[in-house]
Amino acid sequence: MDEATASIASSPLPTEQTIRRRKNLVFQTWRFVALNLRMLTMITKGSH
Amino acid sequence: MLGAGISGHTAALHLRRLLGKGHEVVVVSPNSKWNWIPSNIWVGVGKMTTDQVTFPLAPIYKRKGITFHQALATALYPEGSPDMESPHVSVTFTDPSRLNETANIAYDYLINATGPKLNFAATPGLGPDGYTASVCTAPHATEAAAQLATVISKMKAGQRQRLVIGVGHGTCTCEGAAFEYTFNVEHEVRDAGVRDMADITYLTNEYELGDFGVGGMTFTQKGLETTSKLWTESLFRERGVNAVLGAHVEKIEPGVINYEQLDGSKNQLEYDFAMLLPPFRGADLQAFNAVGDDVSAEVFAPSGFMKVDANYAAKPFEQWRAEDWPSTYESSRFPNVFGVGIAFAPPHQISMPRTSPNGTVITPAPPRTGMPSGVMGKTAALTIFDRIKMGSSATDHKASMSSMGAACVASAGTGLRRGSAAAMTMYPVVPDYQRFGRTGRSAKDTFGEIGLAGHWIKYMLHVAFIYKAKARPLWYLIPE
Ligand SMILES: Cc1cc2nc3c(=O)[nH]c(=O)nc-3n(C[C@H](O)[C@H](O)[C@H](O)COP(=O)(O)OP(=O)(O)OC[C@H]3O[C@@H](n4cnc5c(N)ncnc54)[C@H](O)[C@@H]3O)c2cc1C
Repeated sequence: MDEATASIASSPLPTEQTIRRRKNLVFQTWRFVALNLRMLTMITKGSH
Repeated sequence: MLGAGISGHTAALHLRRLLGKGHEVVVVSPNSKWNWIPSNIWVGVGKMTTDQVTFPLAPIYKRKGITFHQALATALYPEGSPDMESPHVSVTFTDPSRLNETANIAYDYLINATGPKLNFAATPGLGPDGYTASVCTAPHATEAAAQLATVISKMKAGQRQRLVIGVGHGTCTCEGAAFEYTFNVEHEVRDAGVRDMADITYLTNEYELGDFGVGGMTFTQKGLETTSKLWTESLFRERGVNAVLGAHVEKIEPGVINYEQLDGSKNQLEYDFAMLLPPFRGADLQAFNAVGDDVSAEVFAPSGFMKVDANYAAKPFEQWRAEDWPSTYESSRFPNVFGVGIAFAPPHQISMPRTSPNGTVITPAPPRTGMPSGVMGKTAALTIFDRIKMGSSATDHKASMSSMGAACVASAGTGLRRGSAAAMTMYPVVPDYQRFGRTGRSAKDTFGEIGLAGHWIKYMLHVAFIYKAKARPLWYLIPE
């Protein structure tokens, strides 16, 4: 097994709960709002 | 404006909005259509059509009062020439009604926003004219989708297929796009019910996964620091995608990719479908001084990108500084000439440079993604506007990639309910170790998250940026 394959094989897998959360419409709606706000904050930091 | 891509079109629209009718805004670009390039990924898996990611520029420019020449800029004369006293650009028309006619177009201020020249020629056999697909343009992506459909039908007929997606040279950039396409293809194959018939490999020049040409990122999750490497590897494991790292593709033959790796070994990878991005060069532009001497070597870096207000002194990685990066994008040789977006020459890479024992450079070139490109276009436009209004008392607007963040939403599959994307942001794009310490970036503003929400954001960006590019009401409220 080469280094890249070994490294991928030893990386953590998401838990069942994380996978469910990534698809959950209610949770993802909240993340949609939160991520947009975070991105907007980050954008406004860039100097023009 | 030379170029009507993300940076040039943004600059043109802002200048037109700001300047009175007494001023002329002129755009020179060889394609009749504008393309929201990030969504080419979805064209490349057959989930969108060319018409959904492009639109004709001429009607928009007519409505806004912008002069549009469908032409290719070939030479800059910033001090004029014996033919024309004022600064001007030579162009060759690509407009079918004036095909191959040439003209000189005078200017007072010039923005070079010509983006990348897709340098497929750097690797024998690379690209749609060779043996691999591309998603860099909408027509390329349409062709990639057709090839992908063919391999999927072979899988359905019981034939195991090898799919290789990545970059086609050791100095490529845009690994994020290759990453996105990899996971969109994986999603399509899974949707088609033939995932078990596909071996999917991501072939990259990155030293480790999650580098993305920006030297990787450090995220904070649940009170612990984690790296984009671990985060990306986890996604590869979850989706069963293999990776070949630190690779420089040397040559492509039908069904075989020949590549060298950072340890100096020469290897081969067989494939049934391959999408490999090309390395980028600057557009084929020349520059001349007042007496007609070719000064291209002073105006452009050897890569063809335009030298601007960056520190281009060669120095080792340890001495690279955030301040090396340009902030006004004005040409270092000619005043009132700007180079923005992919067209400006970066002072150095962002990822640590690496060379194989055979002397082959295998390091991602620094990405200049959509958001910074748009910001640079707007920044140059604001500087020009102020110079026109205030003359020599105007101060330049600034936007360095070392004080600018970027959001990268890498799609990992489409579908309003079943889609997924890795949403990442980093601040700043170029790490500043003096300001932010060990990680070089703000921990608060550098984060990554995988999920359906990322897909919605990606789709929202598609809709919002096409709305903005069409200059619909209040378009300028949508940030770059
Ligand atoms: C497949 C793919 C996916 C991507 N996905 C993302 C993403 O998800 N998010 C993101 O932020 N970025 C993404 N990018 C990067 C993004 O597309 C670029 O950062 C952006 O397009 C750069 O803008 P630009 O104006 O510099 O160049 P471009 O948008 O490429 O525009 C260059 C313009 O110049 C014109 N031109 C070329 N030569 C000449 C000439 N000689 N004279 C006049 N005009 C000329 C071209 O026709 C074009 O109109 C992606 C790139 C690719 C290839």
